[in-house]
Amino acid sequence: MSKVPNLAIAMVAMLALGACGGGATGPTALTPVKGGTMTVAVWQEPNTLYPYYATQTVSTLVYEIALEGLVRVTPDGAYQPVLAKEVPTVANGGLKLSTSGQSMDVTYHLKPGLKWADGQPVTSDDVRFTWQAIMKDPKVTTRGGYDQITSIDTPDPVTAVVHYGSIYAPYASRFSSSAGQPILPRHVLEKEADISKSDFVRTPSGTGPFKITEFKSADHITAERNPNYREAGKPYLDRIIFRSVPSREVALAQLKAGEVDAMWNLLEAQLPDIEKQTDIKVRAVTSPSVERLEFNLAKPGNPADQNVPHPVLGDVNMRHALVLATPKRELVSKLLFGKATVAQSTLSIGWAAPRDVHQDDYNPTKAKQVLDQAGWVAGSDGIRVKNGVRASLKITTTTGDQIREEIEQVLVDRWRQIGVALEVSNIPSSVLFGSWSANAPRKKGNFDINMYASSPDIDPHETVAQRFACANIPRPENNGLGFNYYRYCDSQTDQLIQQAGSIVDQDKRKQLYSSILKRLNDAQISVWLYNRSNIDAYRFTVGGYKDNGWDNLTWNTEDWFVSKK
Amino acid sequence: MATWTRASATPEAALAELGLPEHASHWRLALERFLAHRLAVASLVTLLVLVVLVLLGPVISPYSPEHTNLDVRYEAPSRAHLMGTDSLGRDLLTRIMFGGRVSLTIGVLAMTVAITLGVVIGGLAGFYGGVPDAVLMRFVDMMLSFPRLFLLILFSVFFGGHFLTVVLLLGALSWMGVSRIIRASFLSLKERQFVEAARALAVPNRAIMLRHLLPNALAPIIVAATLGIATAIIAESTLSFLGLGIQPPTPSWGNMLKDAQTDMVTAPWTAVFPGLAIFVTVVAINFIGDGLRDALDPQHVTRSARR
Amino acid sequence: MSRYASRRLLQALPLLLGISVASFLIINAVPGGPLSAYENAPGVTPLDLQRLEHQLGLDQPLYVRYVTWLAHFLSGDWGYSYATQQPVLAMIRERLPNTLYLMGSVYVVTLLLAIPLGVVTAIRQYSWLDHLFTGLSFAGLSMPTFWLGLLMIIALGLTLRIFPLGGIATPGADFNLFDRLWHLALPVATLSFVGIAHYSRYLRASMLETLHQDYMRTARAKGLSHRSAVFHHALKNAALPLVTIAALDLPELFVGALVTEQIFGWPGMGRLFWDSATRSDYPVLMGILAVSSTLIVLANLAADLAYGYLDPRIRYA
Repeated sequence: MSKVPNLAIAMVAMLALGACGGGATGPTALTPVKGGTMTVAVWQEPNTLYPYYATQTVSTLVYEIALEGLVRVTPDGAYQPVLAKEVPTVANGGLKLSTSGQSMDVTYHLKPGLKWADGQPVTSDDVRFTWQAIMKDPKVTTRGGYDQITSIDTPDPVTAVVHYGSIYAPYASRFSSSAGQPILPRHVLEKEADISKSDFVRTPSGTGPFKITEFKSADHITAERNPNYREAGKPYLDRIIFRSVPSREVALAQLKAGEVDAMWNLLEAQLPDIEKQTDIKVRAVTSPSVERLEFNLAKPGNPADQNVPHPVLGDVNMRHALVLATPKRELVSKLLFGKATVAQSTLSIGWAAPRDVHQDDYNPTKAKQVLDQAGWVAGSDGIRVKNGVRASLKITTTTGDQIREEIEQVLVDRWRQIGVALEVSNIPSSVLFGSWSANAPRKKGNFDINMYASSPDIDPHETVAQRFACANIPRPENNGLGFNYYRYCDSQTDQLIQQAGSIVDQDKRKQLYSSILKRLNDAQISVWLYNRSNIDAYRFTVGGYKDNGWDNLTWNTEDWFVSKK
Repeated sequence: MATWTRASATPEAALAELGLPEHASHWRLALERFLAHRLAVASLVTLLVLVVLVLLGPVISPYSPEHTNLDVRYEAPSRAHLMGTDSLGRDLLTRIMFGGRVSLTIGVLAMTVAITLGVVIGGLAGFYGGVPDAVLMRFVDMMLSFPRLFLLILFSVFFGGHFLTVVLLLGALSWMGVSRIIRASFLSLKERQFVEAARALAVPNRAIMLRHLLPNALAPIIVAATLGIATAIIAESTLSFLGLGIQPPTPSWGNMLKDAQTDMVTAPWTAVFPGLAIFVTVVAINFIGDGLRDALDPQHVTRSARR
Repeated sequence: MSRYASRRLLQALPLLLGISVASFLIINAVPGGPLSAYENAPGVTPLDLQRLEHQLGLDQPLYVRYVTWLAHFLSGDWGYSYATQQPVLAMIRERLPNTLYLMGSVYVVTLLLAIPLGVVTAIRQYSWLDHLFTGLSFAGLSMPTFWLGLLMIIALGLTLRIFPLGGIATPGADFNLFDRLWHLALPVATLSFVGIAHYSRYLRASMLETLHQDYMRTARAKGLSHRSAVFHHALKNAALPLVTIAALDLPELFVGALVTEQIFGWPGMGRLFWDSATRSDYPVLMGILAVSSTLIVLANLAADLAYGYLDPRIRYA
């Protein structure tokens, strides 16, 4: 395979079209070419391709080219109809609140003439079946929201009326491709007694531009074009192959050699190498995932007692000083090669992301002042002491993550300069993210500072409520349910959260979330380090892709093409 | 005092060959034989130089192993940084020297734990024989039936990557080989006349084991101990490579290689130098161990005498 | 001998049971648990986690879970992976051939090269050949396997681009023997280097001891040629201990080299263990540990029996 003529032809083509490639969303100079095969290197293999069992991003990456939802999220964070004709809102009559205000109905109208990959028509029965499959199957990952649905009526084959038994504010994000909650084919799955034992979990097909036809373990996954896809003339490609490679390094090598056309999920550390290549384009798009330093406001224990404040972190001034002592911009520009953005709160993008909530910038001088004024006096070894308590903390993150370890070491260095001793104590991710009953330290409250990333859904309510409401502090009384690991308890915040979840007006909710996030930052419960980017790379012959921080790179494979191969 | 058991050449001939007086102790003989082993001597010198570097280097180095300088990341080896810098701008040579302290200490301590356990268990089994022997050897079998690396991983995940944990873990999983050697040694030694004599003199068992049997079994113990350090250093590096050993920012030769797989493309020196440090050290230790084995094993007199 | 063998086998059963109990306790003592994968999945609520915990049977007491596992295991049901929901037995069956294929090749290459090397370096002790191979052997014994693997990848894979960077075959291509061998080259070279170092040193030491025995002198005195004496007398006797350690290394064929599989992206048992251990996938872990500990026990027995069979001086009661 000789690359030089290809490069020459592509350049001539670009010049002939008189446009320059690149831009905010993707290459616009290449004209779509019908046909061809595209190979994407994935360094992790999906455990399953059934959306409702999947926990890995790579699973979503693959199955979403085959399975679609009623709606999806566009790059700018708005909902877009996919199988539905329009996104239901109060304005278009799709959303109706009951007179009592205690329940609501959401009506979806399906686009006409939709077909499954095998030619069978898509009907509202499929929507109802999807809900039933989620509720009946004990193995599904999440039922959030679906457990609020009391019934789904199907007055005609293209209309589905979903009855919610309460006011479920995030209703619009259900049945969404971007949330990994697509519509399932009833005629295929209703005869399966146990979906997990069917072929569908390995080779699903649906309404998407492609259907998964082959899943060879540790080797590759093949997806063929869907002849019944709703958009005429699309997809351009005949086939997409997801090639399983042993590591990111191998994926990168194959991309450079031209053996694969695209690569999923690079590390920032690989950027200096790849940005030198002229025949590869790197796309980094901000995702909703925010890397943070989570402070434990309660005294660590197994389990922690939320009524006893942390001896060091219980002091808001100490927390403020640590925020001031974290060189966020430097970390982003140096360790992340500028491919991330500094975070100011837990909501980085989307309609609910506030523009007016900030955290203090790096200012070690001010940090020292704050600590001096709060009564933390430096001891003989340079570490501050107050009331006999030494400013010594432990930071925990997942093992085997180079960037995180590097950040920890920079923090050890910088915090020592303001008189706080930091010790690194990393654990595998299965321990960090483990469950209450398995004594995971984060759940039990047996930590000082955790560093990890977490992403809210397009609708932030679940995240905000679970992580910041007082009732959701995991403790023995509630069997460790809840994600409020900070052990943060504030009645006014609770009120605001409760309000935001009980109304459907998006603008009003946005204001409420803004207030909540401001309160959280005033209480300095966390250092929001940076907003992570999804970094993917494509060869210059690939076109049609568009960045979408809310989704994977495969969210619009119907537009993909490979030119001059 | 000398315990000769081989077939041909006489001790006197061996001593004469090496230019020693007739009544030289067998330790002296062993020392002379070791010194005749050129490679082992060269390795010993190398190791000593390494140890000195590792102990003194950090004191004379102008760099700190933990101070990060994000402006000089991934610099190739130069006059300022003889081995280049790593992903956080830290001088690699300084880190290798500090890491040497950690890795060598773990090697020695882990070996000590392993040898102690092995000698105690193997010695008791060999000396008492019968039921205690059967029980202890079944225990050894059970420990050997566990896949070692698996256990290492599971325990590391459980206990975490602290210095003491790593030492105890490595020691607790490598004593089995030594115990078998000591057991075999004690089993044969206790049939000897000097043991019978000691028993006749009503010397207590513990004294027999410690003062009569153990010194005679010292040769294999010394060799096993030397090689045990090498094994422990490699084991620690593998554990740290997997992310389960010594945690950053404390440098150890193993955890410096942890990020090598990603960094080796852009900064190969970060992968090559720490590995080279391990390699040189372990090769040296292996040669020393080989030399010791040659020196302390009386049967080697036969071999070298027959050119 | 058969009585000895059957007695040992019977003794092995409580040993294996004990190992399974100990493994189960260790695995479950590790904090975290298998639900960690769900914890970070977007949209998961605490109620979901509670339901999943019950679904996986994790809310039951430890002894109940062990007995349930044991009962199922003995009846052939090895359970389902928490992470992939696939049957454990199927997962192991899928990975096992890859490991056998890799480690089997390593085994064969190692023995093919180590035996002649051991013999030659023993016969020509202190020659330049001996020094060269001794040096190489020490190099092999002294390198961490993963470092050697990385160096090979850097040198032969990245810089010279002669060999692929990992994987078992070129994905998507049909079965091609040459392609398979090409991908096999680096991992086998890495693991064999160490293996050859060990085995050849062992054989060399054993040969040296045998060569200087009195009966060798007798054989030569009787007029037997040097070569004949070496092969018919020395090697046969010297090979005995080698048989023992070769037998003891047999479990490696099935269990694989974890770190090498990681580096070369080999989809084998070692990687399966690592993936399962890091995400607390108990059923898979128990399955793998059961397989490997059984094999180790059997290999120990095989080694003893082989030694007893080959060495007429040893007879088991």
